[in-house]
Amino acid sequence: MSDSGRHAASRLNWNMLARPDVLSGLLFIAIAAFGLWLSRHYPVGTALRMGTGYVPRLLCWILLGLGVIVLIQGMRPTALPLSPSPMAWRAVLSVTAALVTFGLSLERLGLVAAIVLLTGIGALATRALRPLETALAALGLIVLCWAIFIFGLGLTIPVWPEW
Amino acid sequence: MEFVDNLAIGFGVALTPTNLAFAFLGAMVGTLIGVLPGIGPIATIAMLLPLTFHLEPVSGLIMLAGIFYGAQYGGSTTAILVNLPGETSSVVTCIDGHQMARQGRAGSALAVAALSSFFAGCISTGLIAAFAPPLSRIGQSFGAPEYFSLMVLGLVAAVVLAHGSIVKAVAMIVLGLLFGLVGTDGNTGGTRFTFDIRELTDGIDVATLAIGIFGVGEIISNLARPEEQRAVIAKKITRLWPTGDDFRHSWRAVLRGTALGSILGVLPGGGATLSSFAAYALEKKCSSDPSRFGRGAVEGVAAPESANNAGAQTSFIPMLTLGIPGNAVMALMIGALTIHGIQPGPQIMTERPNLFWGMIASMWIGNLMLVVINLPLIGIWVQLLKVPYRFLYLAILLFCAIGVYTVNNSASAVMLAAFFGVVGFVLMKLDCEPAPMILGFVLGPLMEENLRRAMKIAGGDPMIFAQRPISLGLLIAAALLLVIVALPAIRGKREVVFQKG
Repeated sequence: MSDSGRHAASRLNWNMLARPDVLSGLLFIAIAAFGLWLSRHYPVGTALRMGTGYVPRLLCWILLGLGVIVLIQGMRPTALPLSPSPMAWRAVLSVTAALVTFGLSLERLGLVAAIVLLTGIGALATRALRPLETALAALGLIVLCWAIFIFGLGLTIPVWPEW
Repeated sequence: MEFVDNLAIGFGVALTPTNLAFAFLGAMVGTLIGVLPGIGPIATIAMLLPLTFHLEPVSGLIMLAGIFYGAQYGGSTTAILVNLPGETSSVVTCIDGHQMARQGRAGSALAVAALSSFFAGCISTGLIAAFAPPLSRIGQSFGAPEYFSLMVLGLVAAVVLAHGSIVKAVAMIVLGLLFGLVGTDGNTGGTRFTFDIRELTDGIDVATLAIGIFGVGEIISNLARPEEQRAVIAKKITRLWPTGDDFRHSWRAVLRGTALGSILGVLPGGGATLSSFAAYALEKKCSSDPSRFGRGAVEGVAAPESANNAGAQTSFIPMLTLGIPGNAVMALMIGALTIHGIQPGPQIMTERPNLFWGMIASMWIGNLMLVVINLPLIGIWVQLLKVPYRFLYLAILLFCAIGVYTVNNSASAVMLAAFFGVVGFVLMKLDCEPAPMILGFVLGPLMEENLRRAMKIAGGDPMIFAQRPISLGLLIAAALLLVIVALPAIRGKREVVFQKG
């Protein structure tokens, strides 16, 4: 086989993996297999006396089958490739980090600090936000949230850090 | 006279100052998120769901319902003025609505959209009031096998009417069913898929799942794309009333759109989006001069806008009468009911007539408010469109976080929502429609319960589903739907309906 031919073949396989149907098929299969593994000790019971594991295991097997079908469909030559999204990692990481930080800090540091942290970390998701804009956004959101949730609805969320 | 009496009860409830205020609030918030692309009714309703715990059940439902149909009004404004759909249900409105705006007929287009939505809203509110009582009487005669089969039919129909791959939609439903099983099994007391995490033993809350998938997931998806250019039609909107010519061209379209939307809304999986696509396609077929479409035909605004509003409202019928959600928003409505300890199902109408009729009456009032909110106040919404997404997403992210936290005052719910946000983004990236998942999630425990009961009645014989005539009929209908949609000729047509233009 010539070098260019081998190159084309490897690119073909790589392209195939970058198809939504192939990836989602694999994802469904993985979730189903994981579910089956997790539920391996759940009592299944009989149709008359269904155990804890009856319905979950049934659903996992169905999902496994569906995953295989989706995977096969994705391997057809007509399947569409994945659309590109250049900013994905940045967005995924900073949005997740912002939420986790918010959850961890709300009860200990209070609403004000939690909002500052959420906007600060969340703002990293896009290059479009300038530092001053972020600060203004945080300030505006603090006022808005205090007005709606603390003043308006009377939620019992600590506003300031508890010493 | 029963009809009039019932509506009298309803208006008695809906016209109290508190409930009027909540209907107005819902309509305002609905319009707001309808106008803004990047946040939809599912995420908003999920965020506000925990807060309704502090309200009377009827006030909470009135507000949440207002958000849903209010979003149908607001979505058209963005579609017409910016050529971006504010909501998925106004995707087709962009085509002719924006052309009208570019020809200087923005005011006309906005007015036609609002008035046809209002007309459809009135008619479909009447339809709910007329058809809900008989349907809920039928529902009351259902046993466990019938209910199980009904849910199967509902899920199958939801798949058939969703767009994209059918197999993937089924897989998403199964995934939702699995997520619904997380927690303690009510029947045996065993825990499932909890990873020994204490917070998961009570199961995943529907608001947490929905905020994660639709709120956070949507934010990540939007940020992962380069920000779109928004060119708001800069010309001043002068005449906010359709011309006589517009009226002549559009009244038939409004009638057809309302009829089609009302029918499609009742079907499981139907609702606003499907109705608007189908109405646009139908109008093109009915037109004597189809070439006008895409060049600012007023029917192209009137038909989908009346259809999406009608569909949004009639989708309440199966939820209110049978306790079966037809779309993701209705699944959240069921979540709102259960927060208050109200068991959704046919008994709601007889046991809580105030809730039932009050909500229906409020829909009519809400529609009236929406015409006022949308037409004279259009300038405010246009200004809002100038807020860039980079500010908006921070606010949405924060509201998602607080919304999830208030579900049960737990920080771990916020982490769970962050996890589902990533899940939601990955699913959207892989072209897996997440809406059917929420349906499966809500129906999962109910289906298991009814399956168990049916098996107990039948002594473990699955043939019971075929021996009961109603159950058999429902299952045959579900099977037929699947077969029909798998036929190549129909499959082509189905894809065409979801293509714009």
